Amino acid sequence: MMKKLLKLPLILLGIALGFFVVTFTVYFFNLDMKATALLAPLLEKWYDSREHDQYI
Amino acid sequence: MRDLKHLLYFENLLQEANNELIAQAKAEGKVCVAYTCENVPEPLLNLDGAFSIRLHAPHTGSMDIATYYMTNLLCEPSRALLERAIEGGFNFADCVITPDGCTMMNRCVENMELLKTMGEGNPKFFHEYMEIAFKNSETDVKLSVLQCTNHVLKPLHEKYGIDVSDAAIRKAVEEHNKLCRLIRAIGEFRKGDKPRITGYEFHVLTLATYVCPSYLVIDKLEETLEELKTREPDDKPWRARVLLVGSEVDDSGFVKLIEECGAFVCCDRFCFGSYPGRVEIALNDEEDALTQVCRHYIQHCHCPRMMSMDKVYGRKQYVADLAKEYGAEGIIYQQVKFCDPWAYERTLGSAMLQHDFGYPVLSVDRPYNIASAGGQMRTRVQAFVESIEIKKIQKEGGKA
Amino acid sequence: MKTVEKIVNPVKRAGEQSPGKIYSDKLKVRARREWRGVKDTFYDYTRWLYLMSVLGRFIIVPRNVKGFFRYRWMMSYLFVPHGMDKFTIGLRDEALRIAHTSFNFVIADVTQAIANCFRGDRRVGNDKAYSDKCVITDENSMVTFMMGFDKEKVHTILREVPTMFASNIFHQFNVMHYLDVAQLNGIPGDVCPMPEAEAGISIDDDFCVLGCCAVQNNTTCDGSLMGNGIIAKRLERQYGIPTFQLATPLRHKEPDVLEYAADQIKQAIAFVEEHTGEHWDWDKYFAAAKRVNYATKCRIAQMEINSTPYPQFFGAAFSLYNDTNYMGNSGRDPNFVPIDRKLLELAEKGYKAKRMYAKEYRHRAIVWGVQPQYVIDMLYWMVQCWGVVPLTDMLSVINTDMIAEEDTPENREQAYRDMAMLNMEMIMRNHTHGGYKVLVDELWELCEKMNADIVMMWEHMSCKALTGMHGMFEDQARERGIHIMWVSHDLCDPRVFTRNAIRDQVSNYMRTVMREEPLDPSLEHIPDDEAY
Repeated sequence: MMKKLLKLPLILLGIALGFFVVTFTVYFFNLDMKATALLAPLLEKWYDSREHDQYI
Repeated sequence: MRDLKHLLYFENLLQEANNELIAQAKAEGKVCVAYTCENVPEPLLNLDGAFSIRLHAPHTGSMDIATYYMTNLLCEPSRALLERAIEGGFNFADCVITPDGCTMMNRCVENMELLKTMGEGNPKFFHEYMEIAFKNSETDVKLSVLQCTNHVLKPLHEKYGIDVSDAAIRKAVEEHNKLCRLIRAIGEFRKGDKPRITGYEFHVLTLATYVCPSYLVIDKLEETLEELKTREPDDKPWRARVLLVGSEVDDSGFVKLIEECGAFVCCDRFCFGSYPGRVEIALNDEEDALTQVCRHYIQHCHCPRMMSMDKVYGRKQYVADLAKEYGAEGIIYQQVKFCDPWAYERTLGSAMLQHDFGYPVLSVDRPYNIASAGGQMRTRVQAFVESIEIKKIQKEGGKA
Repeated sequence: MKTVEKIVNPVKRAGEQSPGKIYSDKLKVRARREWRGVKDTFYDYTRWLYLMSVLGRFIIVPRNVKGFFRYRWMMSYLFVPHGMDKFTIGLRDEALRIAHTSFNFVIADVTQAIANCFRGDRRVGNDKAYSDKCVITDENSMVTFMMGFDKEKVHTILREVPTMFASNIFHQFNVMHYLDVAQLNGIPGDVCPMPEAEAGISIDDDFCVLGCCAVQNNTTCDGSLMGNGIIAKRLERQYGIPTFQLATPLRHKEPDVLEYAADQIKQAIAFVEEHTGEHWDWDKYFAAAKRVNYATKCRIAQMEINSTPYPQFFGAAFSLYNDTNYMGNSGRDPNFVPIDRKLLELAEKGYKAKRMYAKEYRHRAIVWGVQPQYVIDMLYWMVQCWGVVPLTDMLSVINTDMIAEEDTPENREQAYRDMAMLNMEMIMRNHTHGGYKVLVDELWELCEKMNADIVMMWEHMSCKALTGMHGMFEDQARERGIHIMWVSHDLCDPRVFTRNAIRDQVSNYMRTVMREEPLDPSLEHIPDDEAY
């Protein structure tokens, strides 16, 4: 039991470290925006395909 | 039709901003009040001892200096007026009163002031800027009364000793109404299948009442009215009857161009036109004249900068009513280039008159001086006339 | 010509020295984020995490997903982190913290505004009870007439802000579609593209539809006033939402318009009461008035710091924060108070430490005119590439008078005049309208007061109020010996002036007139014309 309790901070630290490494990599290499830029043309097609009730 | 006896006389008056009648009125010792917008109550500028002149710049060519001061994206009338002022073309004015109606005209007059284009040697010369109403309400009437008092009547009285009493305003309104009755009566001859006056001729006469001392043109207008009563109309029918709507038209050449394409301009609803500028002001004895004049200008104002929705819808209804009254078969919504208020009004008006009221509409922008792009406009109008004709044939069940 | 003392930054910037290298001509976003040294990179990273959490909390709500796929303009908000990076180019220390503190708050505010729109939107959330307590207002609208309403009971929806104004900051091309729609329907291309795009959104049926009523006004320009007619017609005739036009006099420096303006405020309040069924609460109003005054005091203090050789809070973050706080908030939200305080503390700390944004300050500039949304990072670029410090922009030079904040019978009448004054002297129109003195003369006074040797003049080519004084600016700058650097643009249409076409105007001036070389050559040409 004690061993498990002692491991918990290490596990949490590992998770935090993993979270940091992954998110910092995404952050620093701008992977979030690069992925978004790939998605944008598809979304544009979607919006273009929608019919709009144009009215003045 | 036979030429109107005084048409050439009126046409000549329009060739220069500084026409012979201005010189005559000034020689009589009157004060020349220049203004630039239909939202200034005209009778207040025509009180005894003063006369109003709406500034215009006929035959405008180059606007290089004004374009330096205001760039090429400001509307052409504002640049044309500034150019003419810089050239010294408005030196006859003893003051300029302008409302902060549209931004561009306001900037035009501000540039005139900063460049000291007028008033040289006249220590009494002044510029005044007014706030004008936005809506049709009694609060707006109150605002208008205050603005006219502070920016028209006070300076005219203090600088030039003009009588601004209630009696004086009533007298000015009476004279204004006389002018309006004449123009309205002349305009009536545009109705019916065989009009006795062309849209061009009518515009020349109307325009002269804005850009000349009006009291000096009344006699010739009266003669013209008499002449029209017996004038023989042409037998040849017009191809279409159109109502001309939109921003300021102080170039009769534009109306002439439309009529040369076979479309009779049966009614005019634009700045410098007879609607709404030449509609009589009804006064009662219970209320002071100034308040009533201001109320009239607010209620009859069809300038797009009036922003309340009753005015927005009302402007289109007004056009539809005029079209019905004058038997228009189509409507030309025109806008002088780079005019923001009319850019939007033209869009909305064209859509509503077409979809809600069922009129064919030609929606165009145009240069200030139509001579600079007459060919393009002619093509647009010709196509519009043809489309009206085709619609007429289809309506009558004939084969196009 | 006037000159100012050159100041060299004695401290070398932490991290990389040439932020221009992070741009790529192959991508529509940056190749990577900037290395700012360990401390500042970690700080920037935590703020990125914060933004991700804001976006994440927004998108887990199902109706927001529905709204995302319904409205074209929502695509812009995918690029919020990209947009935020525009505000932090080359920044370190307090400057970085100021940019994040202010603009992160603006982003959170806009996100909430979108969430509110979707909640009430008849096509998305359709929460009718909520919608019935919503009042739609314009994007360029002072919401002073809402200051006395309980914000938990009556909701102010500035629906044009997220739809058009803010979205253009994150995605430079998103407005083009709406401009095309407007022009296809007959509105000419020479009017200001902002109200034109808003009219286009309305014509294209791409606004959220909610609210029990709408209040429009004429605060900015003829185009804005006229575009409102098109928008109001659809609201009234198709969606049955009544509109009120709050008329705001243009000659705001003339005392004879104040009573009219105050009366209009009274009418707007009565209109909102009638349609929401809620009542004006003077306690709420005076509490908001206190916050308005606090924001004013903080802004004055920020401007004083900017008048010294070490300005701290400037650029797009300064103007957009002021925009949101002064205009969109008008003291209604108490959450702005701690942000005001924090921003002032950061600026004071930076000033004491003599922090600088660049290697060198060569010139001190007043930025006049209206900035284009799609080159929102321009002023940060200008200071770092050329050492021209933007001391303030025109949009941030707003009211400095305190309004009545104690609840007395006299102050209740004064309150209408105060609201009217704030409304008339709203951001931008307090200079672009009201006569040439507030546009031209006040600029020279400001140059004197803040010791500026350059005016960086945004020439928004469709803004007739500004361009109508073009020659006067030229003539008078020459007389005063002040450099005037014209930078033309078309506000939110990148097809007219690309980002590089805009920056090149500054670079050309600096090279040919000032005979100078860039401080950071990596920034002189950035390949971001096609970037979001």
